[in-house]
Amino acid sequence: MKWLEEPQNEAERLLREGLDQAAKRTGDEITHRRVWAKVSEAIEGPQPRFWFSGRLLFAGAATVLLVAASVVAYPHVRQLSQGHVSQPGPVAKNTANSAGANAAESMVPAGTAVAPADDQPSVETQAALLEAERVPGHVVRTRAGERARVALGGGAEAELAENSAITWDNQHRPSVEKGSARLSVPHQPPGWRFSVTAGPYVVTVVGTKFQVHVAMNTVSVEVTEGVVEVGRGSNSTRLVAGDSWHGPLYPEEAHAVPAAPQERPQAIPTPAAKPSVATTRGLQDAQAALQAGDTNRAVEILTRAAQGTGPAAENAAYELGRITRYNLNRPRQAVALWDKYRTRFPAGLLRTEADLSIVETLSQMGEVRAALAEADAFMSRHPTSERRQDVQRLAERLRAAETASDPK
Amino acid sequence: MGQKQQTTTPLPTASALADADLVRSCRAGDVTAWRSLYERYAPLVHRFASALGVPVDEREDAAQDIFIAVFRSLKHFRGEAQLSTWIYRIAARHAIRLGRRRRTRETMRLTMLNEKPTVLNDPAERSTQIATLDRMLAKLPPKKRTVLVLFEIEGLSAKEISDVVGCPENTVWSRLHHARSEMVKAARRMVP
Repeated sequence: MKWLEEPQNEAERLLREGLDQAAKRTGDEITHRRVWAKVSEAIEGPQPRFWFSGRLLFAGAATVLLVAASVVAYPHVRQLSQGHVSQPGPVAKNTANSAGANAAESMVPAGTAVAPADDQPSVETQAALLEAERVPGHVVRTRAGERARVALGGGAEAELAENSAITWDNQHRPSVEKGSARLSVPHQPPGWRFSVTAGPYVVTVVGTKFQVHVAMNTVSVEVTEGVVEVGRGSNSTRLVAGDSWHGPLYPEEAHAVPAAPQERPQAIPTPAAKPSVATTRGLQDAQAALQAGDTNRAVEILTRAAQGTGPAAENAAYELGRITRYNLNRPRQAVALWDKYRTRFPAGLLRTEADLSIVETLSQMGEVRAALAEADAFMSRHPTSERRQDVQRLAERLRAAETASDPK
Repeated sequence: MGQKQQTTTPLPTASALADADLVRSCRAGDVTAWRSLYERYAPLVHRFASALGVPVDEREDAAQDIFIAVFRSLKHFRGEAQLSTWIYRIAARHAIRLGRRRRTRETMRLTMLNEKPTVLNDPAERSTQIATLDRMLAKLPPKKRTVLVLFEIEGLSAKEISDVVGCPENTVWSRLHHARSEMVKAARRMVP
């Protein structure tokens, strides 16, 4: 039996009711989404940053040791290895036929998991998964007769064929530099995308298996499962399972944009691939600027952050609307910004909140018809939202106001 | 050119995983697992932080900080206690720290009257009983408050509470007894 379940007086009844109500105070869906948007920024990227720094330190120490060992072993190894240079690392498995190292070449700075190549490599039989440093410029290479499995973070992995290389670009995206990589990407949570680059192209996926091949003059993508988008600049092409696509590695020379998939010639244009991943730092700076009373500076920072990709960009795009509405008191412009957010992030983490903000702002502006249309759209789009009832009540008031102003 | 392949049987979703499996997946860097863990414990953190007196306008930041602390420390979670107990421990520490900072800030508030009105997103916040309860809870010292909240609102046992707050079970019972008495007295004062 609960304490005060049988209250003796009004005070005890009030107390019990308060405790029961407090047990239901679990926060609303919008709050949770908003918090997750911020938390996910902190753990954004292939690995959470706070884990990453420790690994970086470890990998850095391993690199120093490897390079030192390579220098000592180089003369001996060179005698054994003719034209086949590789650096087995601390987590290497099945490295019997991978030969020694060339320190000057430093192809595999933190060690690689290599295995003999065979005609039909399969994930189950190949080398152990390599947890490489996923930092810009780090390269994992395979030589003739080798292949490697590389963890890309978030459960994704790449299986590098022989004579291939994968690196990480400035936005920490894996980038197939040379040769072939078969990629396996688990289904990404809503609002998350996984991107891999190859030459000038960005391959964006939600959860799939596909192969990227970078040859002398071409880049090709072959999709085994799921859907991917291959984009360059503002052009992109959607590929589904069974499709393959190829494009020139140097499109400026070929004057070409991504071609339609060979088996499905219809290309579906989608919004431009954005050039950079926004970071939490930008949002923190914007917050600091706001606290210092410099709204314009905050807007400037957020505008820049919103142009990137990832949860931070999404958050920045939404926040821009909020600041424009509440700090700059420009409701119409705020609605336009939230609408822009919805276009860019149709299934974004803050979509419900953006929809709700638009309904409320239009209503406050006296744009009855537009607010009603948005309210109706909200209720059909978010039938299970905790705010549905609030929106419904607002819609009823708006309808009453509409009828009063237009008795016909 | 590949043929269109049959999709394989879908794996069980992370939300169906037990806490231990979820923690394992999180440690392996599985972002789906991170999100599942968040979704599983966000209501708990929100409720607990609210009952410990984190004001509405600070709750989002508090929840954010608590989850970042949880994710950051997950590698140290040994699985000896329940995951929820461990999260309560982190949340309690954080909420108490926030409370201290808030009290410092309140002394400055007199000269800074430019606070923005608080937006109440959560319908539960509009309840009169809640507002009354919060006023009564605010009068309790932090240690008694934490025990009362964990027992009466979160429904933890005395043993679990002793794990969260790091004191013997007898102390938990003693704090609970005193907290209850003080709450009843406060309630009587509010309802003549």
